[in-house]
Amino acid sequence: MLSFGIAVLCCRCCYSQWLDISNVNFRQEPTELAGPKIIIEYDINEPNISPDSPAYVFVRYSTDSGKSWQLVPMDSLRGNGFDIVEKSGHKQIVWWGTQQTTFADANQVKVRIRSVDVVRIPAGQFVMKSLPGDGKDDSKEISPDPDLPLYYMAKNETTISMYADYLNELGSKEAGWNRRMTNENRCGVVRNNDGIYTVKPGRENYPVTYVSWYDAVNFLQWCGLRLPTEAEWEKTLRGGLYLDGDAAKKKPNPMPERRYPWGDESPDADGVFRCNFDSEDDGFAYSAPVGSFEKFSSPYGINDLAGNVAEWTLDWYTTSFHAGLDGFRMVRGGSWMAVAAACDAITGATQLPLKESSIMGFRGVKEATLRNGE
Amino acid sequence: MKSLNRREFMKGTVGAAASLSVLSQPRVRAAGEKIVMGVMGLGGRGTYLAEKFAERPDVEIAYLCDPNTRRFARAREAVEEAQDTRPKMVQDFRKILDDKSVDALINATPDHWHGLGTIMACQAGKDVYVEKPMSHNIFEGRKMIEAARKYKRVVQVGMQSRSAAYSGKAKEYIQSGKLGDIYIIRVFNMMQHPMQRKVPDQPVPEGFDYDMWCGPAPKLAYNPGRQWLNQWEYSVGSIPGDLIHQLDMSRFLMNDIPYPKTVSHAGGVCALKDGREIPDTQMVTFEYGPLTLMTESALWTPYIKKIPGNIRDSDQFPVWPFCSTRVEILGTEGFMYYGRHGGGWQVYDANGELVHSEYGRQGDKEHQDNFIDCIRTRKRPNADVEIGHKSALLCHMANISYRVGNLKLDFDSQTETFTNCDEANKYIRREYREPWIVPENV
Repeated sequence: MLSFGIAVLCCRCCYSQWLDISNVNFRQEPTELAGPKIIIEYDINEPNISPDSPAYVFVRYSTDSGKSWQLVPMDSLRGNGFDIVEKSGHKQIVWWGTQQTTFADANQVKVRIRSVDVVRIPAGQFVMKSLPGDGKDDSKEISPDPDLPLYYMAKNETTISMYADYLNELGSKEAGWNRRMTNENRCGVVRNNDGIYTVKPGRENYPVTYVSWYDAVNFLQWCGLRLPTEAEWEKTLRGGLYLDGDAAKKKPNPMPERRYPWGDESPDADGVFRCNFDSEDDGFAYSAPVGSFEKFSSPYGINDLAGNVAEWTLDWYTTSFHAGLDGFRMVRGGSWMAVAAACDAITGATQLPLKESSIMGFRGVKEATLRNGE
Repeated sequence: MKSLNRREFMKGTVGAAASLSVLSQPRVRAAGEKIVMGVMGLGGRGTYLAEKFAERPDVEIAYLCDPNTRRFARAREAVEEAQDTRPKMVQDFRKILDDKSVDALINATPDHWHGLGTIMACQAGKDVYVEKPMSHNIFEGRKMIEAARKYKRVVQVGMQSRSAAYSGKAKEYIQSGKLGDIYIIRVFNMMQHPMQRKVPDQPVPEGFDYDMWCGPAPKLAYNPGRQWLNQWEYSVGSIPGDLIHQLDMSRFLMNDIPYPKTVSHAGGVCALKDGREIPDTQMVTFEYGPLTLMTESALWTPYIKKIPGNIRDSDQFPVWPFCSTRVEILGTEGFMYYGRHGGGWQVYDANGELVHSEYGRQGDKEHQDNFIDCIRTRKRPNADVEIGHKSALLCHMANISYRVGNLKLDFDSQTETFTNCDEANKYIRREYREPWIVPENV
């Protein structure tokens, strides 16, 4: 039996910062012994994706005509078009076991594919100068030259348009949204009377703000991602001892102890503005569209780690007065409201996880996935 | 001769600042007129207070101040979201004091800046909300009272449990005699602190006026791994800095008992041997004649917790034996558990039967309301500076007993000195670092 479901296109023109995906279709095919499988095909039209700067692709599906959506577990997929995708072009994904685990009839199914730019951060040592948890969390062991396995980090902070897309898929309830997000200068997500979220025109590419730690985590889980740890965040900013990783060791990092993503120069040295901090001379009174300072990205090409919006991390901040009670989390990276010096590699702030702030956003991380044969 | 401007003059001699202040009656703000405030110290507590006061329609936060500019953004954002106007960001609190339009200073600095910051604010004609413990030593606490009285300032100490309604009910219950005669009060403060991880001394980071941060205290080499709470130079200590809430409540419940006659300390740095100076274990006995007040406090007891947030403002009680911030009041006819943080209180009779329960809510907002009311009415606030001094005094006495070798010390309440140990009296006041000297004559 061959049956066809409904595919939904997600592309950059609709949702800024999702990568351009087109010609999505899928069909159900029988197998000899394992029941039907779903074949999903699409084109990813991003000429710049590469092994060092790939796309992260995730698939979500609905079996109730789009009322609710779920993430397709990566473990049930095979093919060349999901998780980390290193080449542009036509892709095929085989989704096994749907009849046993999710649904019986592909005609009832809708599928959405989304993709975001990520950057490969090779395994290896780096210089960590801050102490996770602001030096007050003794649940962590600090080594002088910490070593991290391979991971991928989003090239840009999560944008308002990506977040609005997420809200619309969540449905008409206000989960994940708060009224502060309507602030047109500092965010710009509008909830309309019909429950549909829209973005104030022109704000699509700005980083989403007023997101609590829980909002950020929920969005990333929706994508199949997670927040970075402080160590991951700092390594991404400075680069490892070798930019191609400890396995290759062909590209030594010229400045493994750099203060800022671009080096040691102050963000406004010589009248050149290298990030968005508390200076209207940098061209932005509030946040800036993500990637506005791409020329001053990290050694791996990741944008806006310094300034723009500070970023939630996975790490706890545990002081004695609050240990186990309030769940403070660490925020890194300075912001458009921070002094220049606070946009460096080590400055962190503590925040209650419920805090919804106009100077805080987030980005995702994907751990490298081991699959059969790897 | 080049004349000094006002700031240069104040910087040159703190004590002389008094001559610049206005000694006339403080202006009483009209009901609809906003109280203009500056906030000194933008750590967690300072940022919280800045946000809470900024949320009030009757307050404007005009200044946010911290020597470390890296702390600016979090506090500024919180205030800007709560009020329409943007606060000025400064590293030197004297800019707040210089501004005639500012009515009050919130002082949420580390302990070593509480005293002088408050005195200078009083001299400059500002009312003050100062965090606890309000002084670094006994001498400067006394001078804070003198400054508040001389310049007719409202000085509220951040001991907010005094403003919680359930605390007042507990006091009424005790004062009605229902517990009988009270001879023992046990005060607890059990916490879990991490070991500090000292790293090599480092250059002072850009954007941090470390000299200003040290202020009246010695300027030790900059070391981000060293926690100020563990150093005598900057702190009264992690335990006293929190225990003071329960000590103050004990005094409050007992109708503000004034001074103990003796103090004796046991304990020391027992578990957290990381180079800290201030004890991680403090068992203190204060004798008030027939009444004995005892504290049990430590920094290495993970199984004893502060009251969780979901209990603090609800109709629930903590599990008392594992409540780190409880007070136990033992009378001849009854026994009371009292919990800080809105933990409520419960009373057991001579047969061990529960005879009275009162749920609690935290008193933060009421304490802030009280401060604003007193700015307008010029009345003494709930945690007036003299009350704050007498509660902080207990912390200082305990520390001094420890520092002279856990000796039992006799205390003269008239002179606020010890009568049986000259060495103990050396700790009554600190060595101040020029120009940040608490003057004899405020």
